[in-house]
Amino acid sequence: MARIEIDNLTKVYDSGDESIVAVEDLDLEVEDGEFLVLVGPSGCGKSTTLRCIAGLEDVTEGSLRFGERDVTALRGSERDVAMVFQNYALYPHMTVRENIGFGLKLSTKLTAAEISERVESVASMLGITDLLEDKPKELSGGQQQRVALGRAIVREPAVFLMDEPLSNLDAKLRAEMRTELQELQQDLDVTTVYVTHDQTEAMAMGDRVAVMNDGVLQQVGPPEGIYRQPVNEFVANFIGSPSINMLTAEIDGDSLTGPAGFSYRLSDTTSVKGHSRVRVGVRPEDITITDDGPNSATVSVVEPMGNENFCYMELGDHELTARIDPDLRPRAGETVRFTFDEEALYLFDADSGAALKTKSDAVAPGIETEVSS
Amino acid sequence: MREQRRKDAVWMFLTYAFILTMVVVMLIPLYWMIVAATLPQQEFIEFPPRLIPGTAFLDNFAALQERMNYVLTIWNSVFIAVVYTVLSLLLCSMAGFAFAKYEFRFKEPLFYSILATLVLPIQLLVIPLFLMMSQVGWTDTFRAIILPWLANPIGIFLMRQNMRSIPDALLESARMDGASELQIFYRIALPAMRSSLAALAIILFLFQWDLFLYPLVILEDPGNYTIPVALAGLEGTQRIYYDQIMVATTLAIIPMAILFLVLQKQFVSGILAGSLKE
Repeated sequence: MARIEIDNLTKVYDSGDESIVAVEDLDLEVEDGEFLVLVGPSGCGKSTTLRCIAGLEDVTEGSLRFGERDVTALRGSERDVAMVFQNYALYPHMTVRENIGFGLKLSTKLTAAEISERVESVASMLGITDLLEDKPKELSGGQQQRVALGRAIVREPAVFLMDEPLSNLDAKLRAEMRTELQELQQDLDVTTVYVTHDQTEAMAMGDRVAVMNDGVLQQVGPPEGIYRQPVNEFVANFIGSPSINMLTAEIDGDSLTGPAGFSYRLSDTTSVKGHSRVRVGVRPEDITITDDGPNSATVSVVEPMGNENFCYMELGDHELTARIDPDLRPRAGETVRFTFDEEALYLFDADSGAALKTKSDAVAPGIETEVSS
Repeated sequence: MREQRRKDAVWMFLTYAFILTMVVVMLIPLYWMIVAATLPQQEFIEFPPRLIPGTAFLDNFAALQERMNYVLTIWNSVFIAVVYTVLSLLLCSMAGFAFAKYEFRFKEPLFYSILATLVLPIQLLVIPLFLMMSQVGWTDTFRAIILPWLANPIGIFLMRQNMRSIPDALLESARMDGASELQIFYRIALPAMRSSLAALAIILFLFQWDLFLYPLVILEDPGNYTIPVALAGLEGTQRIYYDQIMVATTLAIIPMAILFLVLQKQFVSGILAGSLKE
């Protein structure tokens, strides 16, 4: 069990004459027993951060502490961490039993019998007891995944590190393993840092989510908070599926004027004081298609999901997405009118992207639609 | 449809006929060697040649053994080739592992200069090597035969290429499990390289087994001779004992043939390693 403290972590790769800053001045704390998800697009530095925590990469600047212990200069094997790799990294020539026991054999003084006992108890926890004598190539993807987890769990480490462990599984298995991993983490109560590029996974699994971009930490917080109160346009854009609708609008008194005749009247203009242009964001679930809406757009595609419909609309050159009631099925080419609550509106600085106004807590999560008559 | 099948069958027949012919052509000298080893010298030079093996093999071998201790020669060759193969395998796989999986200064120039030594023919190296060996007083020793060829550029190249196919995550995972770099090498990398090691073992063994000019220069005492050197000595100056040469040659190919048969499956997959995505 350990609390992770990352101070001013910077990682620079020197490749000949140019140097690439992979992680820049990262400050992050992970509480004891917490499940923290590092999320961001590929190349954002999340995996590098994880590898620095693991001790697989030296840090260029900054320090790492696990609890009271400064681990910055320690080797990975001395940090009491276990890592699950994206491609599982099972030793191909060893059986499942040997794979799981390998770390114990090398780094502890346990006897063969004790190792065997621990391997078996972990195997039964993961439901892979009958696979113990098999080689990795005889296992399915999901089974390999379990073995990789078993290898991490059996060492009873202070910290679990997981690098996109579910990305090689098919969608159904991924959803199953997601729940299983969460349950496992709760049972074991081990501090976990989990890296993924999939924001759905991040939202679903993390106690807290840390969003990274270009090597810089953008925001850390509980999933709900990140979704509702993003600190900037990048976070708003990255979190949420389908993505938030964004367009640029001019401020004219108390109204926002956007492309293709878009206009919206603000009742409270405090957040946009001193700005002449802003970026406007509305989540797909906050758009309501209704006959008396102030704006109109042309429907291009409607995707029925069963429990809801995704309605893709064109507003000039912009595409808007609305999550609407499954009973509501406008036809392609039809012009519909839409509206949204000012409470649900996001506004960002047009230049810096910093948030000026985010969705207020008054807006209930979920879909709100009115069926037009 | 039927026309096509007949065409296919004809092609198949021609292909197999061709392959069979080539096999026979290649086997004739080998067969003749074995037959000749079993014939007395006078029957050997008869025309038309005999095609059925005779019964004089043991007599020929006894005559050979009387002229020189050929059993000892075979032992010398086997000993040198085995020691060389084991040591060189270890060295080449370690060097290949380092070139494939570690970053260090001058890695690329170093690797390419090792590769560049491939263009040097043995004939060019024999004299300088002999001088070096005589300076350290190693002439007429086995270590002088083994040592200069241990860092085999083909072996280093082959191991580097194949080691590159080991995923980094596998090594990192072992590192996290607490394995030292040496443990990572022999517990993770080497077992993953089994078929490449088998292929390289055959290549190295064959190289040392066939080495002629260099041992001829280094070895003086006939009791230290290797097979190729001894075979050359058999030709003599007045009379050529074909029967004895054929016995010696037949015996010389046996260890090599055994090695190949044992490792042949790994040899093929080792040579092809990395050519297909698994």
